[in-house]
Amino acid sequence: MAGRQKMSNTSRSVTLGLLAALALAATASAADKKEFRYTVARGATISVVNDYGSVRLRASGVSQVVVSATPSSSKVEVDAAQNGNRVEVRTHFLRKTGENDGRVEYDLQVPADANVMIRTASGPVQVRGVGGDVSVDADTGQVDVRDSNGHVRVRTVGGPITLNNLKDGFVEATSVGGPVMLNNVAGRVVSVNTTGGAIVYSGDFGGGGQYSLTSHSGNIDVSLSASASVDLTARTVTGTVENDFPLQAPVHPIMALSQGKSFAGTSNAGASAVRLRTFSGRIRVKKSH
Amino acid sequence: MIGLGKRGEGVMNCAEFQKVLPYIIETGGNTEEERHLRECLVCSDLVEDLKYIVEQAKLLVPMEDPSPRVWEEIKASLEREGRIKRARLKGRLLGPIPWIGALGAIILVAFAAFLVERGRQQQASASVENTTPPLQTISLNTVPTEQDDEQLLQQVAASRPSSASAYQSNLDQVNASIADAKRTLEQNPDDEDARQSLIRAYQQKALLYELAAQ
Repeated sequence: MAGRQKMSNTSRSVTLGLLAALALAATASAADKKEFRYTVARGATISVVNDYGSVRLRASGVSQVVVSATPSSSKVEVDAAQNGNRVEVRTHFLRKTGENDGRVEYDLQVPADANVMIRTASGPVQVRGVGGDVSVDADTGQVDVRDSNGHVRVRTVGGPITLNNLKDGFVEATSVGGPVMLNNVAGRVVSVNTTGGAIVYSGDFGGGGQYSLTSHSGNIDVSLSASASVDLTARTVTGTVENDFPLQAPVHPIMALSQGKSFAGTSNAGASAVRLRTFSGRIRVKKSH
Repeated sequence: MIGLGKRGEGVMNCAEFQKVLPYIIETGGNTEEERHLRECLVCSDLVEDLKYIVEQAKLLVPMEDPSPRVWEEIKASLEREGRIKRARLKGRLLGPIPWIGALGAIILVAFAAFLVERGRQQQASASVENTTPPLQTISLNTVPTEQDDEQLLQQVAASRPSSASAYQSNLDQVNASIADAKRTLEQNPDDEDARQSLIRAYQQKALLYELAAQ
C-alpha cells in the first residue's frame, strides 16, 4: 500500500514536471514570436527573403502590412523595415546555422493591390489573393499561388509549383526538376517550362491568350473542358502524343503532322493559342469530366 | 518583326538565317540572306552585335610581348640620350600590354551581359509562338563549362547546404537534356524542335545559375 502511494506520488511529480516544462516551452515560443506592422499606400512592394521555414502571405482589405514571424532558435533573427512604400523582411543568421536552427515561419497580411517578391531555399511558400505582381524564387520549397490576377512569375530548382485560379494576368512558371500544376489558370500569356518536371493543366485556356507548356523529358497532361475555345498544337521530338479531345483538324496546318509525334486542331472559335512541346516526354490531351 | 519570312515560299525566315549566321559573318551572305538582313531589324541588329564582339575578341588574342631585356635596353638607351626621365618611362613602357587583355575581357563580358538582358526583353515582348531564340545563350562563349558547374555546386554547398543535392541532381538533368538535344540535332540538323529544345535546355541551365547566385 505504502509502495503504491509512493509510486503514485512519483508519477504525479513527473506529470507536474512535464506540464511545467510544456508551459515554459509554450511561453518561450510565444515570446519568440515577432510582429511588425506598417501602413502603406496603394501598390506597395513587399519582399521576403527566408531560406528555411514557410512564408504564408495573404491579401487583406486594409492598407497595412502585418508581418508575424516565429524564429526557431536564438541563432536567427528577423530584420524588417519600411522604406517609403516598400517593406523588406529578411531572415538574418546571427551565426552559421542549418535548416533546423535557421528556420523562421512567416505569416503576412498585405493589401490586395500589393506587389510581392519572395525568395526561399527549402521553405514552402503560399500566396493568396494578391492582385499585384507576384514573384517567387525557390530552390526546393513548394510554391502555391492562388486567386491572383496580376503578373505571376514563379521559378524553382526542384520545388513543385501549384497555380490555382489565376485570371487575366501574365503567368510564367519555370522549374528545372519540379512538377507544375495549373488549375483554372487563364491569362493573356501563360508560359510554363521544365526540364524533367511534369506539367498538369486543368481548365479551359480562357481569355484568348497565348499558352505555352514545354518540358524536356517531363510529361504534359491537359484536361480540357468541352467549352474550351482553343487552337492547339502538340509536338514531341522523341516522346509520344495522345489526344482524346475532339479537335477539328486545321485547314491550313502551320506544321507538318506526324502520327504519334504531333497533332493540331481547333475547338469552338479557337480563341486561345495553345502550344504543347516536349523533347522526350509524353503529351496527353483529354476531355475533363 | 520576328519570323517575317515564310518557309517554302522562297523567302528566308529568322531561324534559317540564324542557322547560317556564322558563315555570313565570316564570308558575307548570298542575295537571299542579304535581303533578309536588310528587311529584318532583329537579325540586322544581331549581326551588328556579333561583328562587334568578333572585333573586340581579337583584342583577347595573346600578344607577342618582347622580353623584359628589350624594354630595359630601350629604356637605358633613351635615358642615356636624355630623351626621357627615369620615373616616366617605367609606367609607360611596362604598362599597356597586360591590361589590353583585361579590357577586352571586360568588354566581352559586359556585352554578353547586355545581350542576355536584351534577349529577355525581346522574349517578353514577343508572342509565345513567335519567340525568337535568344542566341546569346549558345553563340557566345558564355556557356558554362564543367569547371563552372563544379564551382556552382561548391557555392551552393557553402551558402545553402540543404539545397546542394537538389542543385546537383537538377544540373545533371539539365546537362543530360543538353546532350540529348545536341545528339538529335547532330543527326538531323534541320530538326527545328530539337533546336528549340537545345535552346530551352540552355535557358534552364542559365536559370540554375541565376538562382544559385541569389
